[in-house]
Amino acid sequence: MTRWEIVFLSALLVPAAVVEAQVEDSPTLSIQGFGTFGVVHSDEDQADFVSNLFAPKGAGHSDDWSAHVDSRLGLQLTANLSPRLTSVVQAVSEQRYDGSYEPSIEWANVMFEVTPALSVRLGRMMQPSFMTSEYRKVGYAIPWIRPPEEVYRMVPVTNFDGIDVNYRSRFGDYTHTLRGSYGRKDAKVAGGGEVKSRDTMLLTNTLERGAATLFASYGRYRLTIEDLNPLFDAFQQFGPEGEAIADRYDVDDKRFEIINVGVRYDPGEWFVMGEWARSDSRTFIGDSRGWYVTGGYRLGDVTPYVTLARVRVDGETSHPGISMVGLPPPLAAQADGLNAALNGLLGNVAQQKSLSLGARWDFARNLALKAQYDHIDLDSGSPGTLVNTQPGFDPGGTVNLFSLALDFVY
Amino acid sequence: MPTRFTATGWGALLFCLMIGSAWAEVVVVVSVQNPVETLSRAELSDIYLGRLNRLPNGASVVPIDQREGTSTRGEFYKKYLGITPAQVKAHWSRLIFTGRGQPPRSVPGDDAVADVVAEAPNAIGYLDPGPGLVDDRLRVVTVE
Repeated sequence: MTRWEIVFLSALLVPAAVVEAQVEDSPTLSIQGFGTFGVVHSDEDQADFVSNLFAPKGAGHSDDWSAHVDSRLGLQLTANLSPRLTSVVQAVSEQRYDGSYEPSIEWANVMFEVTPALSVRLGRMMQPSFMTSEYRKVGYAIPWIRPPEEVYRMVPVTNFDGIDVNYRSRFGDYTHTLRGSYGRKDAKVAGGGEVKSRDTMLLTNTLERGAATLFASYGRYRLTIEDLNPLFDAFQQFGPEGEAIADRYDVDDKRFEIINVGVRYDPGEWFVMGEWARSDSRTFIGDSRGWYVTGGYRLGDVTPYVTLARVRVDGETSHPGISMVGLPPPLAAQADGLNAALNGLLGNVAQQKSLSLGARWDFARNLALKAQYDHIDLDSGSPGTLVNTQPGFDPGGTVNLFSLALDFVY
Repeated sequence: MPTRFTATGWGALLFCLMIGSAWAEVVVVVSVQNPVETLSRAELSDIYLGRLNRLPNGASVVPIDQREGTSTRGEFYKKYLGITPAQVKAHWSRLIFTGRGQPPRSVPGDDAVADVVAEAPNAIGYLDPGPGLVDDRLRVVTVE
């Protein structure tokens, strides 16, 4: 039987295999899973720390110790339908926008191998915006408890529906992977509302040689947040001044671009990796620049690591708004309200730096225990990556987090 | 007399150590029908990590793994790839959960590896070469 498996495997890898034997085309099905059980404590009780921007509850205000931030369960079915046709369906249960843990389909696609080097996928896939994006939810596969928010939050939506073409070539010891994706995605936000992305285009380029990886990506989206349209429609009623503000800051079919470069060097005993990303759009979201650097050293089963990260926004985080001079009192009051709403959006952007210290302990097969301490220094006036800020929240301070996570694969 | 005994003792001990270490050396094997004689460490690493499915001469290659948790497997990954079983697992998790690949087929033990590799001209395996395991059906690949 094993012998036939080998022959089948060879046929799968190379259609014109050197192996002469004829084998029946037996499809295979495998079921695999992953998960994390994690708890986080934050010393800031007037705001929540979340790892998913769309989640309503986190650590700090909602819970002193929160299990909602990092805990999740994933189950995947991989079907090799024929030697060149593979299908993947992955369901993930984690805190959703509505606070429930109803599983959502994270991946559901069919991949066709046109040639051993070229493959095309159709369906739902993860967005490969960053170096570890595709497996950012698989705690066991990443060095930290969660990817650094300073970079990964720039694209909070994890998957998209569409098509993706992957081309892999090899020259000498170098493996080069070029990938292009096109699709769309609607993501529901906590507290109602939806972010719609259309004409999502992503180009990624990965170069690997032994322990070294070089990654670069460019993404372009057309973003719409319909729930904000009434606000900017109201601005439009204030003549050219209001129209200019709406045009500059609304999110109605606006182009959003992001570029990212990353490097990783992992010779085995230790590793370093880092990414730098910038996003640009003519919306209130702001043009973010984020980076992180992580390094770790493997001492047997224990891997201590350290991460430094930073995110800031280029441009104004406030706006004078509509001039109220000469406006009749009712209109002035309305303008004042609109200006406050606009500045609420602009001032809410994440600007912070952080230092994280942690350790991963591979204490048993398929299990890893991680502990991580994060010290976050919020820029003056910014809530950083915190959400759910309460009236008593004072932007611009420091926040300390302590997290524990048990990661597993099966 | 005691001196001679000691010398013999040391000689025997040394001999045992040499045999012992020779047995403990995990080797990489292919079928004698496979023309491969040497592989670079990088090539072997890429083959076992799913990055390479063709040899420099253009022939396809299919890695055969041993069962998780066995000492031969642990030693192979440590000696030739410089990584721990946990790192191997993390590596495959990155490919499995992105639909990009499945780990190599694993077989139970050195005998099974020998049999499977001997039968498949494009397979590559590793084993702890106990007596009679590397017979005329197999060739040990030099990894440089």
